[in-house]
Amino acid sequence: MEQILANGVYLGSQYAMIALGLTLIFALMNVLNFAHGQMYVIGGFVTYTFYGQWGVPFVLALFMSCVTLAILGALIERFLFAPVIKGSSREESTMLLAAGIAFFLDAVILLVFGEKQRGVPKIVDGVFNYDFRLIMPYDRILICVLAILSIVAFIGLMQYTKTGRALRALAQDRTAAQLMGVNVDRYSMIGFALGAMLAGLVGGLLVTITGVNLGMGGPTSIKAFMMVMIGGAGVISGAIWGGIILGFMEAIGLALLYQYGDITYLLIFVSLMIFLAIRPQGLMGKPWG
Amino acid sequence: MFNVSAKQLTGVGVFLFAIFVGVPLIIGATGRWDFYFTLTSVALLSIASAGVWLTFYIGRINIGQGAFALIGAYVSAILVVKAGWSFWISLPAAGFFAALVAILIGIPILRLRGVYFAMITLVLTQVVTLTALALPITNGAKGMSSIPLPSGVSLFGIPILPDFAGMENTKLAFYYTACILMIVTYAALYRLVNSRLGHLCRSMQQNEELASSIGVNIAYIRIVIFAISSFFGGIGGAMFGSIAQSVYPSSFQVVDSVNFMLNCFLGGLGYVFGPMLGTLVLYFGWDLLFEFGKYQMLIYSTVLILIIRFLPNGLLSLRIGKGGDK
Amino acid sequence: MSPLIQVKNVTKKYGGLTANNDISFDVAENEILSVIGPNGAGKSTLFKMISSFTPTTSGEVLYQGERISNLKPHIVARKGVVRTFQETTIFKSMTVRESVVVAQHLRAKASLAGYFWGSKTAKEDVTAFGEYADELLEFLGMSEISGEQATNLPQGSLRALGIAIGLATDPKVLLLDEPFAGMNHDETMRMVDLVRSVRDERGVTVMLVEHDMPAVMNISDRIVVLNFGEKIAQGTPSEIQNNEKVIEAYLGSADDEIGM
Repeated sequence: MEQILANGVYLGSQYAMIALGLTLIFALMNVLNFAHGQMYVIGGFVTYTFYGQWGVPFVLALFMSCVTLAILGALIERFLFAPVIKGSSREESTMLLAAGIAFFLDAVILLVFGEKQRGVPKIVDGVFNYDFRLIMPYDRILICVLAILSIVAFIGLMQYTKTGRALRALAQDRTAAQLMGVNVDRYSMIGFALGAMLAGLVGGLLVTITGVNLGMGGPTSIKAFMMVMIGGAGVISGAIWGGIILGFMEAIGLALLYQYGDITYLLIFVSLMIFLAIRPQGLMGKPWG
Repeated sequence: MFNVSAKQLTGVGVFLFAIFVGVPLIIGATGRWDFYFTLTSVALLSIASAGVWLTFYIGRINIGQGAFALIGAYVSAILVVKAGWSFWISLPAAGFFAALVAILIGIPILRLRGVYFAMITLVLTQVVTLTALALPITNGAKGMSSIPLPSGVSLFGIPILPDFAGMENTKLAFYYTACILMIVTYAALYRLVNSRLGHLCRSMQQNEELASSIGVNIAYIRIVIFAISSFFGGIGGAMFGSIAQSVYPSSFQVVDSVNFMLNCFLGGLGYVFGPMLGTLVLYFGWDLLFEFGKYQMLIYSTVLILIIRFLPNGLLSLRIGKGGDK
Repeated sequence: MSPLIQVKNVTKKYGGLTANNDISFDVAENEILSVIGPNGAGKSTLFKMISSFTPTTSGEVLYQGERISNLKPHIVARKGVVRTFQETTIFKSMTVRESVVVAQHLRAKASLAGYFWGSKTAKEDVTAFGEYADELLEFLGMSEISGEQATNLPQGSLRALGIAIGLATDPKVLLLDEPFAGMNHDETMRMVDLVRSVRDERGVTVMLVEHDMPAVMNISDRIVVLNFGEKIAQGTPSEIQNNEKVIEAYLGSADDEIGM
């Protein structure tokens, strides 16, 4: 039981961070970022390159993941999403664009990093063992703590800084934010960069545990979509709850049903559908329609 | 509304001539027999894309067509292999089964709109893949292989459809079959869109509240449309399975669902034949880029992004001119 | 003669908030009845309940003795009670004529399959829809703009389009949600005439929700006044004008809203 709880917290904290980035981008620009999983993978590969291959300290490698993705996100927003949003007669075009970008990033990952599974040396050795009821390697504990700290930092940023307030105003009502004097173009870019950066950060953190490979992008995006749907699209608390809930469901499912393999995910999907049929707006989302 | 202009008729005539006579001639002359498979795939994928396009016509972004194509492929394969049915009966059965699943799933999820519907349909593809892995009847990850080719059909001793297994050139036979199916699909789609149901769909696409205020049973029409859409998906998938003579859980994946959506968007959502063009351009383009080896995906996605960046309203919008159809 | 519509003890609560509390009144056949009240008095909510766009918390609405509340909107529309919308809710990328043709959905005789195959009845329907659309647009004085895209119309024409769409369904009762909002005096007067002719020439009973006092006083046979979700008065325009509770309610909210 303790083990399941611990696994749930561990998974949940990672997932929440992935969902946060996705939901931020959605809230700001109404864009469903299909490429979120690919951004996560790139984050993993950057940390792998700096820490695993060149021996740069892990924290610095992690920082490089964040910077790379923030720049990438900003460029994508400035040169692709912003003009398409302005020029298209229907908002769905952004979904198409996001899918195109997902393919593009996949291609780039393939060319630059190859299709092999990559791992890095452990950042800390040893295993925490509490009476064989709770076993958790130290590196996982460390990553989990780092993830939770990042989430706290993100919330702090959104709550207490000028940027955060501007982003929240933008998420609530674009027109009103503009009238209030928020530079909409600039903060859209910052928000997108921030969302992408979060994806990269998780990728960098998790490469130390699970490694990274080309095929992880798509499934990661799907998981992120699920979390966002559970919690409610575009709501920060919803993304966190969605991540925690999915993390726990997975931890519990894998513990109880491990001999049936993928049946856990099937059950999660089906229960998500039932849940959405009852509560289409998710846990924290505002009712609509 | 019921009259077809001479120009349209000529257009259709040229199109039919091109695909039934022109293409075989060109392929015969150039010896590029592999194009048959490519074009057959285009025809079948454009049937599934037509379904996605139809769901868009009621204002829903459907990224779940891969799920229904997979369902169709498995239903047909199971009926042919395990129950010994003729493929030609299993084909509509696959379509109807996909439609039935669509009705059951549609009742809860069609209430969702916009991004929510898009996300849940995307998840749906994953659900079907996992179901195929988990169920005993689908053989799990091994999938179903060595599916027999479609057998001949005769009515009162008169052969209507030939036995594919006894044929020298199954490629050509499959090509013709796929083209006929595609033409029937698009003819039906064209009629549907230009009939009253199509007008009601358009009214729902533009404003569901107003549509229900004029007495349109929006819940019912949503289900009907989603069922028809999935029927197309099931038919396309079943035919695909028959040509490949195999079905695996990975035959249709999330990326296929996304591609179906891309086909529609790229062709242009305002035009019935948009998905056909979109499928042709995307699939054929992808195939042609094969020569570039590992740069295939990079070039493909770059072109895709550029098209969206500079033609955000679809390829057919070029013909109409900017702002011609919103 | 029994009333056409009976609103019986209708209450609507959103969480702890009461939008409408125990409201009852009748609408007689061929009447023009207005529901007025300061902002937030619950007028729109009341309309939504009558047209079943939102369920009642308690109470019911009867049409010809049959319950029409807590159903689906399209079923209420099919019975002949049709609403228009407050916002500019239109079919954006249809032309005026197309919108009016689509709105005749309920008058169709042929089945959906009949349309698909192009049956004889379906062809007759299509011709009839077109003719009726032209007739209706002429009646509303909109023939000239029948080919315009709805998005390109000025606001006044949009309201008229909303009414045209409502009328095309061949309703017995038309619920108009703020038909005069955002109009200048001339436009308003034209709309008043239009609404009156809808009643006089088409035999449609009209209920409307409105802010514009002079227009309401001009057009209504009877008026129901809501304030803070409660019905505070009902009567003829002259009765309402002299009703102390009404004056108080309006003075208590915002002076500029009286306009009388």
